[in-house]
Formats: sequence, C-alpha cells, structure tokens
Amino acid sequence: MMRIKTTGISEFFQQQFIRLAQGIAAVLVLVLITATVQAQEIDILLKGGHVIDPKNNINSKMDVAIVGDKIFRIAADIPANTSKKTIDISGLYLTPGIIDMHAHVFHGADVNSISANSPGGLQADAFSFRAGVTTVVDAGSAGWRNFPLFKTQVIDRSQTRVLAFLNVVGRGMVTRYDQQDVTDMNPEMNAYMIKKLHPTILVGIKSAHYWGDFTSVDKAVESGKLANVPVIVDFGEHSPPNSIESLFMEHFRPGDIFTHTFSEHAISKTTGGRESIVDVKTRKVKPFVFAAQKRGIIFDVGHGAGAFNFNQAIPALKQGFMPNTISTDLYNLSMNAAMKDMTNVMSKFLAMGMGLQDVILRTTWNPAQVIKRPDLGHLTVGSEADIAVFNLKKGNFGYMDVGRTKISGTEKLEAELTLRAGRVVWDLNGISAPQWEMPAPNN
Amino acid sequence: MNKNVIQKIREYASIFVFGACLMAQSTVQAQEIDMLIKGGHVIDPKNNIDGIMDVAIKDGKIFRVASNIPANTSKKTVNATGLYVSPGFIDMHVHVFAGAEDPGYKGFEISNGFGSVAPDDFTFRSGVTTVVDAGSSGWRNFPEFKKQTIDHSQTRVLAFISIAGYGMVGTVHAQDTTDMNPVTTAFIMNEYPDIIVGIKAHHYQGHDFTPVDRAIAAGKKTNKPIIVDFGSSTPKLSIEELFMKHFRPGDIFTHTFSGNAATNLTPGGREPIVDVNNKVKPFIFEAQKQGRIFDVGHGGGAFVWATAINAFKQGFYPNTISTDLYRSSRNAGMKDMANVMSKFLNMGMSIQDVIVRSTWNPANVIQHTDLGHLSVGAEADVSVFNIREGKFGYLDARGTVLNGTKKLEAELTLRAGKVAWDLNGLSGTQWDAVSR
Repeated sequence: MMRIKTTGISEFFQQQFIRLAQGIAAVLVLVLITATVQAQEIDILLKGGHVIDPKNNINSKMDVAIVGDKIFRIAADIPANTSKKTIDISGLYLTPGIIDMHAHVFHGADVNSISANSPGGLQADAFSFRAGVTTVVDAGSAGWRNFPLFKTQVIDRSQTRVLAFLNVVGRGMVTRYDQQDVTDMNPEMNAYMIKKLHPTILVGIKSAHYWGDFTSVDKAVESGKLANVPVIVDFGEHSPPNSIESLFMEHFRPGDIFTHTFSEHAISKTTGGRESIVDVKTRKVKPFVFAAQKRGIIFDVGHGAGAFNFNQAIPALKQGFMPNTISTDLYNLSMNAAMKDMTNVMSKFLAMGMGLQDVILRTTWNPAQVIKRPDLGHLTVGSEADIAVFNLKKGNFGYMDVGRTKISGTEKLEAELTLRAGRVVWDLNGISAPQWEMPAPNN
Repeated sequence: MNKNVIQKIREYASIFVFGACLMAQSTVQAQEIDMLIKGGHVIDPKNNIDGIMDVAIKDGKIFRVASNIPANTSKKTVNATGLYVSPGFIDMHVHVFAGAEDPGYKGFEISNGFGSVAPDDFTFRSGVTTVVDAGSSGWRNFPEFKKQTIDHSQTRVLAFISIAGYGMVGTVHAQDTTDMNPVTTAFIMNEYPDIIVGIKAHHYQGHDFTPVDRAIAAGKKTNKPIIVDFGSSTPKLSIEELFMKHFRPGDIFTHTFSGNAATNLTPGGREPIVDVNNKVKPFIFEAQKQGRIFDVGHGGGAFVWATAINAFKQGFYPNTISTDLYRSSRNAGMKDMANVMSKFLNMGMSIQDVIVRSTWNPANVIQHTDLGHLSVGAEADVSVFNIREGKFGYLDARGTVLNGTKKLEAELTLRAGKVAWDLNGLSGTQWDAVSR
C-alpha cells in the first residue's frame, strides 16, 4: 500500500532547499571531477621550446601537448599541472618529426645485393630517432617482386615509419645489371602493387642506375601515371650523360623528383656520369634548372656517398637555387663518410647559409607534400605526435662533401628528444627522465 | 788537362753524386709517413704514454710515436691539437650477427636476426675499431656469421660463441642443454682461432650451472675464457658460487652493474654485486683479486646508477667497459660506446682509467695482445676524440638520470690506417682550395 504523505508549507520549502543544496553539491562535484580529469588529460607536455611548424606558420615559443599518440594542443603557456608528464625543453627547438625522403633500409642478409634484402640497406631504427627522423622513405630498394618481403621483414618490424618508392625494376636494387633489364620494368605490376595492394606505404616509383636512353625513366613515369604517384630519378650512369634538360622538360611531370641534385659526377669508364645543375666551367646554375623548378619539378638532395659536392651546392645556393627537399641517401657507404646522418646533412645547409626555418620546411612539410602524405610533417591538432626536439649547438664545426673537401660552420643540430606517435624513442640527455636516487638501506 | 784537375773533378763529382743521393734519400724520407696525427694528447696505457705526442702511420701500421715529428716528413698531416689520441676502442660485448631470421616466437632475434645490429653502424662514430660479438652465434652457425657479417665488415669483428649450438635465438633455445656441446664448440673454435676468443653462457633458467660448466669445459679444451650473462633462474643462483667454484681466473662476468629486478631476459633477477645496505659484497673484491673479470655490458637492462655509483664509491671498478649493443639498447640509456665511456667519466673515473678499460684491458682479457695499443708495428687502429664540456645527462636502464659535465665525442677514427670516421673534416681540405 502506498503511503500518502502530507506536507506543510515550511516542510515544502525545507525539501526544496535540500533539493537545491543537493543539486548545487552535485554540480560542484561534477565540476571538481571535470577539473581533476582535465588536470590529467594531457599525457606529455613539451614546455618552453621554440616551435617551428612551417605548415602552420608557427615559429615562436610554444608549448606542445600530447594525448595518446596525437597532438592535442599547441599554445603559449599550457599549465604544467594539466599534464601527467612535463618535459622542460627551454632553449631547444621543437619541430615535426623529420622526414628523410631518400634512404635505403631494406636490410637483409644477401651480401651479393646492393640494397635489396642486403646489409647495404641499413636498419631503419639505427639512424632515424637519434637524428630526429620519424619517417624514412626507402628509395627503390625493392621492386614489385620483393616488396612483400621488404614489408614483412623490415617495414612491419620497424618503430620508424617506413614508406617506400617502388623500384621500376621488379627485382629492385640487386645488382647494377638488374637495373638495365627493361623486360623487368612492368608499369602494370608496379601500379597494381602501389594502388591496389599498398597505397598507404608506397608513395612513388624509382628509376636508377640506368645506362641506356630514357626507357627506365619513361617506364617509371608510365607506372606513376597509372598509380597517380610521383617518380624519383637517380640519373647518374650514362656515358655520355643524358640531357637533364630533356629529363626535366620532356619526360618529367610536375611533381616528379630529381635526386642527387648537387652531385658533380665525373664520367667513369664503368658507370658513366651525371650532368650537373651548375655549369662546371662558369659555375652558374643552368637557366633551365630554375625553369624546371618553376614547372614543379622537385629537386631532392639525396646526399649519399657520391652525390653532394660543395662546388655545386654553394654556387647554387648563392644564385638563389634552393633544393625542395633535404634527404640523406642513407646506406652502408654513406653512413660513415661525409653524409653521416640527417642532422649532419641539415647542419650542412645551415653552414652554407640556409635559415633554420628553411631547413625544417625542406625536411618536414615539403617532403610530406612531395610524397602526397599531407597527414605528415606538421603539428596540427589531431595529427600523429611525431616530434623532433633539437639543440642548436654553437661552436666550430666542419662539414665534408663526397670529394673530401670541407666547409666550416658555427652551428650544429643535435637531436635531443624524439617522439614517435607520442612515445619517447630517443632521449640524448635524459630530459624526459627523473634523477637517480640512492636506495634506502634495507636491513 | 792536368791529371790532378781531372782527379779533383772526379772527386767533386763523386761528392756531388753522394750529396745528390743524400738529398734524394731525404726526399724519400719526406714522403715516408702516410699520415701524421700531430699535437694530440696520446693516451696509450700499455706503453705508459700519457702526454702530447705525434703519431705517424705508414702502410696501415703505427710507424712512430714521438714528440715533434716534422710535418714535412708526411704525405698528410692531421692537426689533433686539443684532442685526445688513443688506440681504437675495443667494445668487448656487442651483438652484430645481423640478419633477417625470425625464430617464430618472441625471442631475442639476435642470432642472424633483427635483434643484432650491423657492426659498422655504431663503431667508428664512437671511436670503436674492434667489437667482440658476445655469443650471438653458436658452433652450428658461426661459419654463416663469418661469411655473412665478419668478412664484409670494416670493423674488426671477433666473437665469443654461445655454448648453445644456434647461439642467441631466443629464451627457449637457451634452455636446451642437449645442444650445449663442449666438443663441437671447441672444434669450431679451433677452426677459427684468430676470430673466436671465447665461449658465452647465457639466459639459462634452470637452477644449476650446466651451461656455465659446459662453456668452461670448451674453454679448457681451447684455453680460452668464458663470458657469462647470469641471472635467469628462479630462485637466484649464487654469484659467489659462480665466481669462486666455477670460474677460472680470466673468466668474465658481464652485466656487472645491473640491479636486482627481474626483466624479460632475466626472469629470476640477477644477484647484484651490492647488498641491501648498498655495500659491495666482500667476495666481489676477492673474486676480482683472484682474476675474475668484471665487464660492464650495459645493454638495455643491465646498468643501474645505484649499483654503479655505490660500487664506484667503495673502490670497485670494472675491468672492461662495454656496451652490449643490440636492438633494445642502441636507442635507450646505452646509445653507443662513447656514451657509456662518458658515463664513467662523469662518475669520476679519469680519462686514463676509462681508456685502459676500453683498450688494453679488453685486449688482454680476450688474449689479443696485438690489439689495444699504439706500439710501433701494430695495426693503426686509432681513435681521436674530444671531451666536450657542458651540461649533459646520462640515462641508466631504469630510466633515471645522472647529470654530468663531460661527454666523449669521436672526432676521427682510423682502422688499419684508413680514415673510417671524420666528424668535422679534420682530414679534409677546404672546399675552395681545390682548383677545378
């Protein structure tokens, strides 16, 4: 039986007051809970650094907040108490994780191969994070025949984000002779591999080390048209050298990439040579090079062991010709020579007079656009938290080219802290870590 | 013409010829050195050299170490003023059997796998010219390791082989005592006496000393030391028993400064060398006195500040400094040999004491007295480095930091007289000085 309760006026107000008080208390608790949640909502706060994010036109002191594996917020003075972990990066530069657009990382045990499944290809994680790099693009080590092996053996097992240009030759970069096999250059298969099977990993087509006419380039461009991706060309082994003007103006589409831009590649008896962009007599940039860049042809550094000479790069920069993208061409012969790693190549451009913002643009947002991956190379809220934190060392430094000539510089980039998808993957001086403590005696 | 005059002319002529010969000889002498490293502070513990000296190299060998060797006697001179010059470092504990094999279960993948790193990737850039692989391969696959990696590396690669036949595949393989054969292990060691320097026992979870004793049996047959990664058994096995009852003088305990915690690789936890009151256990000093070798083997999980600093304060120093370079250590607290050596500098060890533990000490331990010094005639493996001053931090395996003011940086590394690393172009020429 239901009990009917009668209430007087005063009792009614009393009840209303209690309800109101309960309501206020509930709201207060809710507010408090929300505030507490907010205090914990950021996972990592990188505080006090100078942020350079060319895509978003940021070039100032900012704090960067990360939640999970994503960029959560970029603003001046985000309070440290809103984050579970705060890393003081005052005096350091913070940029999007660096993209190295030309590397060879199809590491394997075939000692007779140049770059495919070979010790000549390096382990991706060995050189990336310690140089601020979070994404590498393999430049044609694998072709369509061995890309599946490359993927299972290397790409799927690397912490570094590994993307790739597919070699126009089905077997990839095995030997110099394989690179000549026009019967193994199959645009249909290349396009199928890229467009249908691995569109999120394969970003383009590589043509390299070809001794003949333009066949290798044209097959690559044909593949590129079918798959709607750019080609990247190592144009260095023709005797006499083929015309780069013809390459840029007649064979390339806008968006296609010329790598090894600053090489002065003498013609050798065995491998031919590469026409240089700077005239070797007058030391002037050839006029069609400017025209080509205006047309949308991409000029990539691809330093390597044999493809970066100061007597090309310095006159070119002085005459106002800047590469679109800065990259290493990392492989076994370049790692311990003049190239060394991405920070060394970037520092070389600083030493030649390029501004830091221009260097960062050419190693983040520019390569991201060239490989049609606008999700990478910036710190936009919601993007994956791939971040590089650099120290710009001051002092007396020397930088070599492939001819063992050198320039001196007063600055050098050093990777202090690297995050890949929100995780610390490199911490040079332990800035993300607590001090050690003596354990309490326990007897 | 007067005969006397002719005689005189002949005499003068012969004097002239003699003089010309002398001059020609001095011109030859002017070219006789291939490379001169000039003005550096040479530290060569074996030869008791610790001061400003010039180092001359010819035909890939050390030709002369002396003060003020004239620059005009050398084809090339490198100015090492303000830098240190030492024998190329020997990193006595690395994993470089890089390959692509997958054990099919979550393992180390160090034997012919992605858990190993390629030898030349981390050596020269940190002053290292010799690495000793610590048991990545066993007797069954050492020949493959040699063909695939050792024969193709610029770095000198020596090796301990694992007492387990297939080397360091994964934890399961490390338990298979039926595949720990001293006879076949010794046989392969005798096939490659110049490369294989000893035997490794590791990652055994059984509560007994079987792998250690099998390794020692192979060591006795070949007269070579063993190196032990101890501490995978639950409950823990006694390290006192290991040192005093099983080890011979010269046998090596690696991961000396690890803490007490159990890890994936040492599920039982390794007995630390310091006790719960932070005191170095007395038998540790005694073991070292009796010739047991204590190696750092930093690795991904085996170097803890509390252990190292406590030991250091009580006067216990490792015999050899090494990295335990592999996939999980290279990007963590370890990083590379120069970083590990820098840690010891910042704990207060002198540069001379750091160098002896990374050159002549490991050379002795692995019985390669041809290495680790700059004696005339020795292969010219040379490390030229600077010690940066500034504010640095050093991470241990627990993710804690020791702040420091010094950092060792490899400037120039020579392997058999050839420049294998040149950070700032010390050996290069100014770009605009080259006429084109």
